[in-house]
Amino acid sequence: MIRYIVRRLLWVLVTLLLITFLTYLIFFVMPPVHPEVIFAGKQPTPELVAEVRRQFGLDKPVVIQYALFVKRIFLGDEYGWPGLGFSFNTRSALKPIIYERFLITLQLALGAAVLWLVVGVPIGILSALRPRSILDRLAMGFALFGVSTPVFFLGPVMLYVFWFKLGWLPGSGFYSIAKYGVGTWFVHMIMPWSVLALAFAAFYARMTRGNLIEVMGEDYIRTARAKGLPERTVVAKHGLRASLTPVVTMLGLDLGGLLGGALITETVFNLQGLGNYAVQSVFSGDLYAILDVTIIAAFAVTLANLIVDIVYAFLDPRVRYT
Amino acid sequence: MKRYVVLVGLLASLALVATACGGGGGPTETGPTGATGGIPTGGILREETTDFGFTNAFDPTGEYLGTAWAIYGNFLLRGLVSYPWLPGEKGGNEPVPDLATDLGEVSADGLTITFTLKDGVMWQPPLNRPVTSQDVAFAFQRINTKSLIAQYGNYYCGTIVGMDCEGKSQEDPIEGIETPDDKTIIFHLERPTGDFLYRLAQPAAAPIPPEVAGCFDKAGEYGRYVMSNGPYMLLGSDELDISSCDTLEPIKGYDPDKFMYVVRNPNYDQATDENRKNYIDGWSYVINTNLDDIYNRVLNGEIDLAHGAPPAAILQQYLTNPDLQDNLKTNSGDRTWYLTMNLIVPPFDDIHVRKAANFVVDKAAMLQATGGPTTGEIATTIEPPTVLPDLADYDPYPSPNHAGDVEAAKAEMAQSKYDKNGDGVCDDPVCDNVLMINRNYEPWTEYTPILTENFKQIGINLKVRELDVSTAYTTIQTMSNLIPIAANAGWGKDYASPFGFDYFLFSTAGLSCEGAVNYSNIGLDEELAKECGDEVYEAWKAATDNGRNPLPNVDADMEACVAKPFGPEYNACWADLDRKIMEEIVPWVPYRWGSQNTVLADTVVAWEYDQSAGWTAYSRTAVNNGLTMDEVAQV
Repeated sequence: MIRYIVRRLLWVLVTLLLITFLTYLIFFVMPPVHPEVIFAGKQPTPELVAEVRRQFGLDKPVVIQYALFVKRIFLGDEYGWPGLGFSFNTRSALKPIIYERFLITLQLALGAAVLWLVVGVPIGILSALRPRSILDRLAMGFALFGVSTPVFFLGPVMLYVFWFKLGWLPGSGFYSIAKYGVGTWFVHMIMPWSVLALAFAAFYARMTRGNLIEVMGEDYIRTARAKGLPERTVVAKHGLRASLTPVVTMLGLDLGGLLGGALITETVFNLQGLGNYAVQSVFSGDLYAILDVTIIAAFAVTLANLIVDIVYAFLDPRVRYT
Repeated sequence: MKRYVVLVGLLASLALVATACGGGGGPTETGPTGATGGIPTGGILREETTDFGFTNAFDPTGEYLGTAWAIYGNFLLRGLVSYPWLPGEKGGNEPVPDLATDLGEVSADGLTITFTLKDGVMWQPPLNRPVTSQDVAFAFQRINTKSLIAQYGNYYCGTIVGMDCEGKSQEDPIEGIETPDDKTIIFHLERPTGDFLYRLAQPAAAPIPPEVAGCFDKAGEYGRYVMSNGPYMLLGSDELDISSCDTLEPIKGYDPDKFMYVVRNPNYDQATDENRKNYIDGWSYVINTNLDDIYNRVLNGEIDLAHGAPPAAILQQYLTNPDLQDNLKTNSGDRTWYLTMNLIVPPFDDIHVRKAANFVVDKAAMLQATGGPTTGEIATTIEPPTVLPDLADYDPYPSPNHAGDVEAAKAEMAQSKYDKNGDGVCDDPVCDNVLMINRNYEPWTEYTPILTENFKQIGINLKVRELDVSTAYTTIQTMSNLIPIAANAGWGKDYASPFGFDYFLFSTAGLSCEGAVNYSNIGLDEELAKECGDEVYEAWKAATDNGRNPLPNVDADMEACVAKPFGPEYNACWADLDRKIMEEIVPWVPYRWGSQNTVLADTVVAWEYDQSAGWTAYSRTAVNNGLTMDEVAQV
């Protein structure tokens, strides 16, 4: 198992290198903007542009720039380790910015994940156990609504109704626990969590229902029932364990993806997380910021994949890694 | 980069915020609540924006964003001269003494200007010392230092003796700036410069303390340590440890990723300042990524001011709801929106085609598509009247109700080499699929069908490429792209002198292979055309008959105007030059002079427009929210 994990971690490294190199290439082959021109002002004389290019380190060949970037990541830069570089926009170190924004995205993603699991999985189970009942139909109606309601629509509607009109919940913005306490933090996160979780909850409910219905028709479930096991044990121990394995896979991937930034939710609710930062950085051609967010997003997804694969070994006794 | 559904919305929102607009309307000293009696003091003015958008990380030496200029001028930096922080009709574009006792003593030959500094103007804590003439000189040393990238250094380099913007160190003195004592500063100029006072009123020319700024020798670094000699200072900046460069930590009240807070400067003496009223106790400027949310927060009274130009839907809401109309302020934005035509690309390499374009465009429809008169007024020439009043009634290409004059356009087209049968409709293949660059969001996308239809009437079939704002600009700024015509461009003044408006747009100083702002290529010569690549050189040869008919050049005209003494003679010279450009060169179709619309909450009880920066005059704005900075700041 240890050898397997080490091998997978090495692959994570290779994947990250490939992704960042591709990002680098895309930036230079199809630059969304020319940062050196933007930061030379309204009258970008060739001399100013050249000086900006030099200060941003854009005057070297692309391959050299990339090599320096990789070197800084591993060996650190003037702002410490890992060397995440500086922002063209603010001329400040990116590390604290990325760190703070990652924490916000993490809180958003984890809270939403808890919510969609707590809502989605039980709904799926209840639906599966009572297929075609009123409960099942209601649950699947909810799932259809959740899956088909886009966040960029639901978010502003919720803000309008629950904050602007009714005043039941506070408006947008991030209020940290450290500064404002758990209560303020929590009430400000309710809407972002709910909006982000809805689509996932609906999807997880459908997936759980489908899997469980399929598993409950398996021979070993009939055997379990024939042995006289109580229905609760049959469902919880034999049915759920098998049917939730794909759910774990999905959870890992979804969470990994969200850690790279839940762009729309962050933007609508003014949560200044990584997704939001990625957009801002692309608009202004803030190269190192784009690369840093890319690395985190890619790392989160690849790491989540690894964790899912490891957890599989514990959930499914047939899976063994060497 | 992102999911495109949101990208489109964001782009539109961001660009609308970044865009100045047009109109009339009335600024007021009494705000939407109609405060009676004296204007209240205290409270925190709370403003939100989707993005700070600073161009040089808020370092005054290079910062080129109008908002930043409003922040420096109203709150933090007192230069030798500045502005009264009023709208244009109240003198808001006229320099007035600020740190200096008067507007300076000019020598008979116009080459030497001497200023005396006022007593009692102090730097904020922890500096706690008077502002000296050496601090002013240091600002110019910074402008002259190449590594600090003074983004409008061209206004000083080549004008002040010894300044070339190529300096190696900010410690190096400038030959043409003398500081015989702490209170006197003398500028020696290369040539008489009529609008020199305007240049001095720019934030980069305001004093900078060497003991702090001297620690930063790269562009933008000083932006997180800006020291104030004005009525306010950045929150927490008084706690800076200035004992050495190593002990300096970024000011806590400014996080370039989140917020900026300013509070009163205890060392400021109101008796030294006639222009700033300083009603508020502080100002909070916070990033909110959701533009709709910002305007809802203004409506709810959770903030006092929304930054930037309101999107069309919000504007409509304020225009049509009687309860909100008083909360919308419309002022001249000192900005011209125009179509730019390329003098080396067919069919616009023919002046008759360019004149025909000026006649055929339905400017009234374009204004309507933008949002009507609140968003601006029809432009008939280059300079907005607030910058050059002499041309307020000038309209070289008139048409009934500004809706276009097709017959006049055809008459011009008939004289062009591209209309062989003289019927007023282009019959040359170069008029097919003529590429026009445009922005990819409203109202620009609304212009596409209007312009396509207009140009079709004279036989020009436009092929429109709509791009995001940055890409659109970089596309037309790259000379080798040879873009025939573009509708994405707009230009705002740096300061209210025609030089500050025209110089880079039409002089050869605005030409370069990449990053050109003289998009029409006025004055492009063989040497630069060659340098910019084979395509450009071939186009230049074709447009100039292999150099036998060189492109028009207005550099000498500009030099002549710059040397005129500021006043009627100066303006008349520029007015003549603008007429020449509009009638003999015709690089543009100006269609709108944009206005600046501002949306206020009911909590704003006094408000003025700062014409110089094109934004709220913070030093003349009052609120009645009774808040303190402790209650507002998220530090």
